[in-house]
Amino acid sequence: MKQTPLLEIQDLSIGLKGDNIEYDIVRNVNFSINPNEILAIVGESGCGKSLTALSILGLQASPPLRITSGSIKFGDRDLTKLSQEELRSVRGAEIAMIFQDPMSALDPMFTVGTLLKSAIRAHKKVDDATAEKISLESLADAGIEDPRRRLAEYPFQLSGGVSQRVMIALALVNNPKIIIADEPTTALDVTVQAQILERLKDLKKERGMSIMLITHNLGVVASIADRMAVMYTGEIVEIGSVENVFGKPQHPYTNGLLGAVPRLGTGSAELIPIIGRVPQPDNLPSGCTFVDRCGRAVEKCSTQRPELVSQGSVDVRCFNPFK
Amino acid sequence: MLMNLLHRARKNKQLVSGSILAAVIVVLGVFGPFLLGDYSSQDLLTGHLPPRTSGYLLGSDALGRDIAARAVVGIRISLFVAISVTAIAVIIGTAIGLTAGYVRGAIDNFITLIVDFIWGFPLILVAVLAAASIGSGLLPVILAVGLVNTVAIARVVRGEVLGLTEKEFIVAAKAGGYSTVRILSKHLLPNIMPVVLVLSSYYVAVAIIAEASLSFVGLGAQPPLPSLGQMVSDGRGFLIMNHWESTVPGVVIFIMVLSVSLIGDGLRDLLDPRLRTAVERASSK
Amino acid sequence: MKSIISRVISTLLLLLASSLAVFAAIRVSGGDVTAARMPASASAEDRELFRHQIGLDQPILKQYVTYMGNFVTGDLGNSLTSNAKISTLAGEKIRNSLILGGSSILIVFVVGVPLGMIAALKRNTWIDTGVTSFSVAGMAIPNFWLALLTIYLFASTLHWLPSGGQGGFKSLILPALVLSAEGIALTVRMTRSAMLENIGQDFVRTLRAAGLSERRIYFKHVLRNSLLPIISLAGLRVGQVVGYALVVETIFGWPGVGQILVNGVLRRDYPIIQFFSLLLVIAVTLGNLLASIGYTLANPRLRK
Repeated sequence: MKQTPLLEIQDLSIGLKGDNIEYDIVRNVNFSINPNEILAIVGESGCGKSLTALSILGLQASPPLRITSGSIKFGDRDLTKLSQEELRSVRGAEIAMIFQDPMSALDPMFTVGTLLKSAIRAHKKVDDATAEKISLESLADAGIEDPRRRLAEYPFQLSGGVSQRVMIALALVNNPKIIIADEPTTALDVTVQAQILERLKDLKKERGMSIMLITHNLGVVASIADRMAVMYTGEIVEIGSVENVFGKPQHPYTNGLLGAVPRLGTGSAELIPIIGRVPQPDNLPSGCTFVDRCGRAVEKCSTQRPELVSQGSVDVRCFNPFK
Repeated sequence: MLMNLLHRARKNKQLVSGSILAAVIVVLGVFGPFLLGDYSSQDLLTGHLPPRTSGYLLGSDALGRDIAARAVVGIRISLFVAISVTAIAVIIGTAIGLTAGYVRGAIDNFITLIVDFIWGFPLILVAVLAAASIGSGLLPVILAVGLVNTVAIARVVRGEVLGLTEKEFIVAAKAGGYSTVRILSKHLLPNIMPVVLVLSSYYVAVAIIAEASLSFVGLGAQPPLPSLGQMVSDGRGFLIMNHWESTVPGVVIFIMVLSVSLIGDGLRDLLDPRLRTAVERASSK
Repeated sequence: MKSIISRVISTLLLLLASSLAVFAAIRVSGGDVTAARMPASASAEDRELFRHQIGLDQPILKQYVTYMGNFVTGDLGNSLTSNAKISTLAGEKIRNSLILGGSSILIVFVVGVPLGMIAALKRNTWIDTGVTSFSVAGMAIPNFWLALLTIYLFASTLHWLPSGGQGGFKSLILPALVLSAEGIALTVRMTRSAMLENIGQDFVRTLRAAGLSERRIYFKHVLRNSLLPIISLAGLRVGQVVGYALVVETIFGWPGVGQILVNGVLRRDYPIIQFFSLLLVIAVTLGNLLASIGYTLANPRLRK
């Protein structure tokens, strides 16, 4: 049963333009986020996943980087066509974003309370008492134990886990429909990671939100995501439900990724790395970009670029996927 | 790596323009006096002559002295003070800073106490006090500028060393059993040099202005030595009719300071954007 | 609070040490005090007698104690050249220098900070290039030359402003501007660089993602973060003003502490030198203290 997606990204390309350089980093990306789901975008550093996420709210570093084609449909608007001023009404209110390093992502000169209230006031006029109430609720929803105490504290006084929760609270204050989480747990200790992820999963249920989770950590994907998209060199190479992709990866890259991760319970004790290196965006091979590292390459892989096609339960970009 | 550095240097507008100006100044200062002859011969009958009169390229002052000839000697004086003082300050200051930052403990506390004490005084005040105690002349200027520069450099070097000793590569060197001297010279020094270089260019500029200011009020180089600052002061009374007596040395000072500042800025952009904070903290003095 | 008290105490100690240093520097001099007061034909015995009368033949520490004792009771000695009581002179000179110095510091920050902010906002446009070049040049112009230039222009040629002396507001304009020139340039550069550095920080992206307007982000958050180095600069500025005031007051004939000190040095008037250099040292030290207190108060990390 197909639902209307909350966010639809169609044919999105994001490029870099400098003196003497011009090339696309994100190339013709297509995916949607449905209501009430957690979609994970997975890939190694440099594959374009963070850039894609940033571009949804227009947060990419705009002089060198810009959206070169495609659309981002949210409701009845195309976010790529909105001005900065118009985007402001979406940012933090309908779509919120949390970032990787919480310790440096909060303004050190203001208290947690002031920051939360600023985020609230950016979108609606409320009196101080209401703003405080909303802030306390959001802090509690983010899993913070003594919210009132935290209101008066400065970011430098918070631990990594607590500051990430404050960031989550910041994202929650205006009740967004989607939260984009860019590597939210990468900078945190392992135990704290699990707690934060659990909280995010619960929030999806409690608030009926969707979450777009950017990560390079497959364990994170396995623990909370519903669907996942694998990105390589700026394009999506496989996308489907987590069950299907993990259970039976069809793209050779996905297969390699999963084989390179140590897993308990499977018979093999060997880690199988993917040979070769990721090609640079300004020097991509013609045809399939994975061709030099692929064990299943056939002749047309070097000359033709494969499209993302449905292979039953998942979509794969490959001429010779695993069946 | 060096080739890359040189290439970037050539592209840096500030560095290039500053160096060209500086080269002109240095050439004038070094060769000028030989070419332009006597700077102190007076000709009271001639008095003020405007620039471009034959024989007097930049005119003459109230006492009939050739301004161009005096100016180039003035350049020499300024360069001498600024460069010699800064060179000594760099050597001594770096040594002090390295010691304080690396050895730490009581020695560091002692050094920091003295350094901070002196650093609190504005340069011109120190120079005025020096002139008050030893008498006017170039010597108090050199002492004062030297002292303040040394202390400033020591402070910055110490700060940098403190930051660097925490870094892994120093810890690794120590663990590897390298001798202290080796660590200091091969590992710390090359990392400190960029900051010191940029800072000293700033202080050369400060030294030039300090020497000129002091000569202007009469506390610096004494007549007949034609310090640029003093030349400006001599020309004060004639600004309306014969302004070049003051204008020429003033412009020369301006060009000297400008060139040094440009070189300093260019070096800073070139060597490392990270340096900016350290240098600006220190040069906000 | 505790750190502020300890800082005040160490400042007092610093002042004491500075006064001793200044005292020693001057007394130790090889210059001849008597030259200022006695005719050139005076004999050696007369000079020795004079020295004894002033108390210069005592050991230095004893002189220092005597001096400090007098200082505390208000007896600041007399000028060797004019024989005026320094305590009477002091009030007027201090007041004049405070007016000049205070105006200058005000101008520097009221003009410099906004200009720096504009330059950072309009980075790489002609506005920015203009402002930055102006400030590079501003720091290179020797202030005494600038003083002469402005006197020539505004006083001698245009006759808009007086060329010297302390004659009310009009005579304050030129010296205050000249004194501020280099400070404005420095403040513009520091503000611009602090603003630019902070605009690129992660927290700005978080605020943007939360939907705050660029204006609010810039003027509230980036500015607040940039204030720290600006506050340090403010305190250090006092020291710089003191130094440059020596020259500026002399050129403009502004009857302040700087002018009287410079004249005192030229004429070897020791009591004058002694007192007024001490005054300047106090001013500088207080400025540094205020700056460091201000910095502590402004930085939440240090407040807790």
